[in-house]
Amino acid sequence: MGKNDHETIKAVLAGDKEAYGALVMRHSHSLFRVAFRITGNEFDAEDVVQEAFLRGYQKLESFESRSKFGTWIYRIAVRCALDRIGGNKADDSSRVAEEPDPEQEEVRVADEAAGPDRLLLSGEIGALRDLALRSLTATERAAFVLRHMEDCTGEEIGAALGIPPNAAKQAVFRAVKKLRSRLAPLRAMR
Amino acid sequence: MKHLSEEELIEQYYSRGAAGFKRHIEACPECAEAYAALQTDLDEMKFAAPPVRDPAYGERVWQSIAPSLPVYEARKWSWMGIGQWRGLSYAAFALLILGAFFAGRLWEHRQPWTTAKSSPPQAQEHVAPPQQRIVVVVLSDHLDRSERLLVELKHADAGSEEMVSPLRDEARSLLVANRICQQNAAKIDDPALATALDRLDHLLDGLANQPGGVNSATITRLQEEMNADGLLFQVRVLRSRIPEDQAAKAVRSKEGEI
Repeated sequence: MGKNDHETIKAVLAGDKEAYGALVMRHSHSLFRVAFRITGNEFDAEDVVQEAFLRGYQKLESFESRSKFGTWIYRIAVRCALDRIGGNKADDSSRVAEEPDPEQEEVRVADEAAGPDRLLLSGEIGALRDLALRSLTATERAAFVLRHMEDCTGEEIGAALGIPPNAAKQAVFRAVKKLRSRLAPLRAMR
Repeated sequence: MKHLSEEELIEQYYSRGAAGFKRHIEACPECAEAYAALQTDLDEMKFAAPPVRDPAYGERVWQSIAPSLPVYEARKWSWMGIGQWRGLSYAAFALLILGAFFAGRLWEHRQPWTTAKSSPPQAQEHVAPPQQRIVVVVLSDHLDRSERLLVELKHADAGSEEMVSPLRDEARSLLVANRICQQNAAKIDDPALATALDRLDHLLDGLANQPGGVNSATITRLQEEMNADGLLFQVRVLRSRIPEDQAAKAVRSKEGEI
């Protein structure tokens, strides 16, 4: 797979623009998956995929053939997704809490009167988890997604986010602590 | 016995627990309890699964971006050859404008009698022909503002007057800048830029100058046109194409040419 990608890139750089289509088709699904997990939004994720392939094409000359194209374009997609959620921060906060309390930093769900049974029955626990995830900072959220869902190492997360591996680990720690704190009420329902 | 911190427990959870850690857990009930709680919390953290894309998704992504991509060889030649000269010519233009501006200010300070405002009536016959005001429009800023407007339009609630009114005002402001950019695009022979700016002009004109004001039908029609043209994506492509050198982004026009 990797070798095929390298040959395709050589063809693109030699003027065969259409060859890039093969790379796009090969990696679109994995990029969409991580973009969706970071942005939490189908439409944003699709925009991120397009933007990542676009940036990738423009930077293709800087691609080093010793690395894998899949990893390289994946990192670009993570950065694009990070830019996207960073830029949408205001929107996120309005979705998470109508009147966020900076001291408590708690997630306030739309229907606080909903009892545990109703929450369980209506599947709102999942929604509560998604809200808690969205309440993290962009870096924490991306780092957590990459660690928890994409099974990336600290080094891989650092490379994808453009931060040192130790900072990536710290971002994961902060994310886990915040999520545990915010989802503590769910423990009572177990 | 020194207990493990929450960070150490988190690290062990994701690294599947080293041998030394397992020994510690077996010997330390407190850490074992804390780790079990963490494990349960993290095991239960399952989030919405990404929606499944059909097999043709990759093809659709490719079709949506392919028209925006230049052929690499030509692109390389263009960006390294003509593109470089184009960038330099933009920079030279920008410097020329700045130079002309400061020279004008200096000249005005040294010869106050030439300005209409401060000249005595008898001196007005010596007044030079009125200078054409120079307007500088930065292409990247224009595309940024246009992108924001298009995003707002895309999500606009057609029935909301509160939402529509600022859109119309912004469109009016952008329309002037867009026409300057159109003129410049024609001069520098950039067909992709010219096409996108033409479409943008059509949309801004519809938003800014709709006879009888903008109503919900107009908004819906413009939203449909925008989506059909892929205008938002085109603007994003153009924005990403612009080099970071701000000097290379300036275009100019004299007032009389607008």
